[in-house]
Amino acid sequence: MGEHVPEMARHAPCGIQPLGQKEKKLADIVTFTNVSKTYHAGTPRAFTAVTDINFHVEDEPGIGEFIGILGPSGCGKSTILRLIAGLVPQFPPTTGEVIVNGQPVTGPGADRGMVFQDYTSFANRNVLDNVAFGLECQGVPVGERHTRAREWIAKVGLDPEHDQYKYPHQLSGGMRQRVAIARTLILHPKIILMDEPFGALDPVTRRNMQDLLVDLWRELEATVFFVTHDVSEAVYLADRIYILSNSPGTIMHQFKVMPPDRPAKVMMREPAFQESVFEISNILDQLEEGKD
Amino acid sequence: MTERSTTFDEEKRDAVPASNAGGGMAQKMRQTFSAWRQIRQESSARGRALYSLAGIGILVVIWHILTMGEPTQRVIKPIALPSITETLQSFESLWFDRALARSAFWSLGRVFGGFLLAASVAIPMGVLAACFWRINALLRPISVFGRNIPIAALIPLTLIWFGLGETQKVMFIFLASGAFIFFDSTNAVNGVSNSYLDTAHTLGAKRVPREGLIQASIAGVVHGMIFLGVAFLMGSNSTVVSKLAWCLGGFIGGMLLWYPILVNQVIKKVILPLAAPDIVNSLRLLFGLAFGYIMLAEVINAKHGLGSIIIISQRLGPREHIYLCLVLIAALAYAIDRGILWIQYKLYPYRKEL
Repeated sequence: MGEHVPEMARHAPCGIQPLGQKEKKLADIVTFTNVSKTYHAGTPRAFTAVTDINFHVEDEPGIGEFIGILGPSGCGKSTILRLIAGLVPQFPPTTGEVIVNGQPVTGPGADRGMVFQDYTSFANRNVLDNVAFGLECQGVPVGERHTRAREWIAKVGLDPEHDQYKYPHQLSGGMRQRVAIARTLILHPKIILMDEPFGALDPVTRRNMQDLLVDLWRELEATVFFVTHDVSEAVYLADRIYILSNSPGTIMHQFKVMPPDRPAKVMMREPAFQESVFEISNILDQLEEGKD
Repeated sequence: MTERSTTFDEEKRDAVPASNAGGGMAQKMRQTFSAWRQIRQESSARGRALYSLAGIGILVVIWHILTMGEPTQRVIKPIALPSITETLQSFESLWFDRALARSAFWSLGRVFGGFLLAASVAIPMGVLAACFWRINALLRPISVFGRNIPIAALIPLTLIWFGLGETQKVMFIFLASGAFIFFDSTNAVNGVSNSYLDTAHTLGAKRVPREGLIQASIAGVVHGMIFLGVAFLMGSNSTVVSKLAWCLGGFIGGMLLWYPILVNQVIKKVILPLAAPDIVNSLRLLFGLAFGYIMLAEVINAKHGLGSIIIISQRLGPREHIYLCLVLIAALAYAIDRGILWIQYKLYPYRKEL
């Protein structure tokens, strides 16, 4: 235990870090420059979801970064994800620019996979065809896409033999999210956007899914943006955490936290981990209290 | 509370030996009556069938009582309501003299032709309207008008436009059901959650112009066949040129309607399949309505058809045929409804609630 302490201290939250302070050596995979989104601009119903979002995430070859996004409810966390994904109505931003892989985002694409909180498995497709959906859209022949889909069904911890012909309504919430993850990762996206994917799962399933995600993420080397309400989930999974302010959201704090190199069950019991969670929770509580 | 008072009564009756058997009977009746009062009681298939048969039995008994005895002494005159045996006996003349089976086929053919025509046009239009607000806004006035006009009010106009023949019958069904099919299809597509669209987009669903064009051509051919079939149904004496015009019109119309759907993977692979169970379900209900409307058109003027048998029987007799036809129409409509429902279960096993 004792020997870990200096390392923990190094990775523990180190307070407010000036944005963009690091020298720019690597190409950025995602860059937000002065991004704001206002709905119904110029009318009495005008509502600003996010304002002045600035950050950049470097494309470290071989290891994508895992970014957790936390913030009080309704602060525009999902808006950031959907701006990266290029999904309407959040996209396009009212001002500023979202650049992914050196190109401005023009719309959604398979290079930015997304997993949603609500179960979005296509009800009319069985597990196999749900997982193979993206390949089907690309025109991959049926035999090949089913073979690859079966590999991914196994990778996310489902039984290809037993589960491949099941329909979503025959699956539990956890299994559906496994399908959703397989369906996204089979396309090897460079960026994975996760909008509270485990929000509706029970605690035990949730922890299993977190460990599964860490394993798959290592293998894929993708950059992950992970929105959550659960501070310990963010601290466990993420390399870096962004904390958004109250609505209209903007990035207030940025923390570097220890990477998830041990199972959730072990890591979440360590004092340094709990200290990080405590510190971040305090900030979030203050934000929630500060709402009007 | 009820329980206790029942037992108490039971004990009191038991005290009198002579009425022992009657007491058991009374208790049984009491139990039955208390079961009748229970809201949403569990039921068995056998129990339901038994009570349904009893329901039919009660109707038959009432019918029998009302038409008992000599024709002159009956409660209801035989001209208004013939007796059960008289009605059943007239089946032979209905089947042979009035050509019941052929009439039923005529009626079904008219509904089926008009309905198929309406569905083939209104479903893709409804899907497109639900996806693209401009199309929706363009078609909305017609749809609102079509759904709010009393269908019977269209009959005189269809007689002026399409004459007295089969064209009028088919087009009447087309007009009567088109707006509803359009509206229901739009609703079914609107019912598909946006999160499915987002998911499809982030999984790389895109526009596929070449594939879309090929598939739209196939859809066009199918439409051409449907239109040709309806053209044959509407007039065996129409010219070859006019039939070919229908066929070509169907092909072009089908291509134009289906291309925007089939070119877009989000609509083709996600929206349409997810809305399909609801669309088919509404088709089932609307077909039942259309089957009712054809009677309306046939009662007004027709050479064949169940509706025409009814109106001829009213004017010339025998009145027995009216009752037989009514029962037959109801049975036919019910059988068709169950048939489509069965197909729905087979097609969409994942939609158990339909």
